[in-house]
Amino acid sequence: MPHDKVAGRRRRMDFFLALPSLVVFVCMGFIPLALIATWSFWSFDPDTYWIKPVWSLASYAALLENGRATVLLRTAGLAALTATASTLLAVPAATVVGLLSGPRRATLLVALFTIPFFTSGLVRAFAWRLVLGREGIINNVLIRLGIAHTPVEWLLFSDFAVVLGMVAAYLPFAIIPMVLVFARIEHSVIWASQDLGAGFWMMFSSIVLPLIMPGIIAGFLFVFVVAVATSMEIQLLGGAGASSISIMINDVMRVVNFPLAFAIATVVVIFLIVLVIIANRMLKLSRLFEDLGA
Amino acid sequence: MTLDSMVTGRTNGGRQVFTAITALSLIIIYVPALYLLLVSLNPGEQLRLVVPIHYSLTWYVALFDDHRLFRALKESLFIGLATAVMATPIGLSAALAYRSMTRMRSIFLLVILSAVFVPGTIEGLGLSVMLRLVRVSPSWVTLTIGHLVWTLPFSVTVSLIGLSTVKPSTIEAARDLGASPLRAFVDVTLPLMRGSLISSFVFAFLLSLNEHARAYYLVGRQNTLPLHMFGAMNSGVSPTIYAFSGAVIVLSFAAVALILLGAAPQVRAIRRSAV
Repeated sequence: MPHDKVAGRRRRMDFFLALPSLVVFVCMGFIPLALIATWSFWSFDPDTYWIKPVWSLASYAALLENGRATVLLRTAGLAALTATASTLLAVPAATVVGLLSGPRRATLLVALFTIPFFTSGLVRAFAWRLVLGREGIINNVLIRLGIAHTPVEWLLFSDFAVVLGMVAAYLPFAIIPMVLVFARIEHSVIWASQDLGAGFWMMFSSIVLPLIMPGIIAGFLFVFVVAVATSMEIQLLGGAGASSISIMINDVMRVVNFPLAFAIATVVVIFLIVLVIIANRMLKLSRLFEDLGA
Repeated sequence: MTLDSMVTGRTNGGRQVFTAITALSLIIIYVPALYLLLVSLNPGEQLRLVVPIHYSLTWYVALFDDHRLFRALKESLFIGLATAVMATPIGLSAALAYRSMTRMRSIFLLVILSAVFVPGTIEGLGLSVMLRLVRVSPSWVTLTIGHLVWTLPFSVTVSLIGLSTVKPSTIEAARDLGASPLRAFVDVTLPLMRGSLISSFVFAFLLSLNEHARAYYLVGRQNTLPLHMFGAMNSGVSPTIYAFSGAVIVLSFAAVALILLGAAPQVRAIRRSAV
């Protein structure tokens, strides 16, 4: 039947169109991760300064030594704090974009929240040093207003600075999924609530919040995942000796303890995959993006 | 009718509170960079604001003597271009596949988007050991591969957005008038997608230019810009690094703003079609 033939040709076409990207993601994205996971069970070979196929769980045991577990937990903790703060800012911001602005202002705001993503994260983290430093603008203002007499020290090179830098950097990750969800809200629902005389806060808490909940959770997760992975905010803004998962991996690689570096990486990737799968099951996150191809 | 017109009556302070929080968010995002920009115009050695009449480009002029910086810049520009040249067509091709796929659609999209969430350090580490296994030594090629994996999801997304503004009826019209699928693609789809293809290219370029974690593992002998800058930021800070940061801020903000202004009609079209 000609219909089958057309469908078959079309399917072949889809395959060839999808092929280049699949090659990139499978060969250059997935296989390296699978290699790392496998090699995390091998052992260091002092003769070649590389690894040898002697299976061992030693690296996973070493994960729990020398405060490495603390670094893992601390990184996750700071990321969770960052994600919470970002979400608290992002819900109102996304509501302004999605519910309280006309098309022109909404477009402008989406642009303003998107721009920083494509600019240097390194420079933006570095800029906080000037703002928060002893001679920075915040300390200047505090002293001039008489609120502080000497520069406030904990503003910079502290967890506070790290979280602030991460919130500023990754806030857009929380806002964008919420804005996408707002676009799917049925107009009639908002209209009905207004028609029935619900005040703004009533409408917001009992109608808007439940409807955008998938976006809120997706936003929280996006920020969390990105904040777990980053290292530059901690390296530029964190206190002396502050570490994170990425810094720890780099340090372990520098002392050529390859299997341990691979083990840390494996644990983190598995943790992130499980997180994303659970969220996807719960919320059908991929549906958020399906509009794009509609 | 837009969603905002449904909100009638008073908001009991809701509008004000939410607008204030939005403003605070924008302040947190933009003020540090602007502050750095102003401080970099201070001709003295101290890192504080000066009154505008004393603004000077002293440190910007001093940049031109920094040859290591320029070598790193050249390397990064080259790798960024190479990445964008590859990511744009591959992203378009993936978007076309996704659009006409019927089965495996969400799995395909999940594979593409999940690449964004793999930590850069880990992806860079994995790629570097894999390339070591096949005896490829680090160079601009290895880093470009790493950056392709990083930027491709964004190129796919931007292409998908662009593709969603091309109405299927337009293509069907071309086909009815006798155009072959290829002809319809080249003469109808591609011109309509010009804006998003340019965005896809520029975004891939900028993402590569600013990437740091993968570069740490994949770079060849010549440092890229972020690696060079990171070194400069963590050693004794000379004011030239502020000038250079300022230049990076101005140029990258200008580039993205131009692209987004060009794409504004499309963004609006999506908001409308999503509603």
